[in-house]
Amino acid sequence: MPTDHSTLLGITRGLLWLMLALVAATFLFVVASGGALVTMWPDIAAEAKNSEIFLDVDAMRPQLFALLAILAAILLAAVYIIRQLQTLVASAASDPFIHGNAARLRRIGWALVATQLLAFPLGWMARSVAVSTSQFADMGGLNLQGILAILLAFVLAAVFERGAAMRDELEGTV
Amino acid sequence: MAIVVKLDDLLHARRMTLTDLSDRIGITLANLSILKTGKAKAMRFSTLEAICIELECQPGDLLAFEADS
Repeated sequence: MPTDHSTLLGITRGLLWLMLALVAATFLFVVASGGALVTMWPDIAAEAKNSEIFLDVDAMRPQLFALLAILAAILLAAVYIIRQLQTLVASAASDPFIHGNAARLRRIGWALVATQLLAFPLGWMARSVAVSTSQFADMGGLNLQGILAILLAFVLAAVFERGAAMRDELEGTV
Repeated sequence: MAIVVKLDDLLHARRMTLTDLSDRIGITLANLSILKTGKAKAMRFSTLEAICIELECQPGDLLAFEADS
């Protein structure tokens, strides 16, 4: 029995826009932080020394730049994933089983792979600048949920590819 | 395609148009056109039955196999 998913799709669309706004705001914050590292380094260094979170404050500026660059790359990947999901959800209201959606899910899968790969240097970089007991040193690294999301995206891409092929066959049936 | 649809010949022999057949068997003109031009990938038994009833023919009169050269 067909079910009306319009409410669910509407909520999903709203949540995706909210996530996009949050990711965009975080990206702007990361860029602003990069700018602050250039212009306000003496103040930041003094604050970092007081916090007792960082190992070697005087030598950590390049690592912080690298950390912010990796974070920015991850956030851009997140924007790409959300945009792809928005297109996918938009097509779900009419005809989701098209080859374009299979390709979209594969691209999401690869973007998730890139995100997961970037999380390793991010974690390594965070642990190299902060004391191991701090929350700062906890970021990045291997994420099982991320790996599951990658597998799910590629499996769903295969399902959509098959669905699109079946749809093609059905359309050619008289 | 190795399967040839001879709907055009059957209609011509019965002095009937595709539109007439569409009206009589309730299958859209677009679908019958796909069938007539050999672009169909599959055919339902119900479609075959409706055409055979209307054109008073056997499935073999409508379809033929021609090996690809």
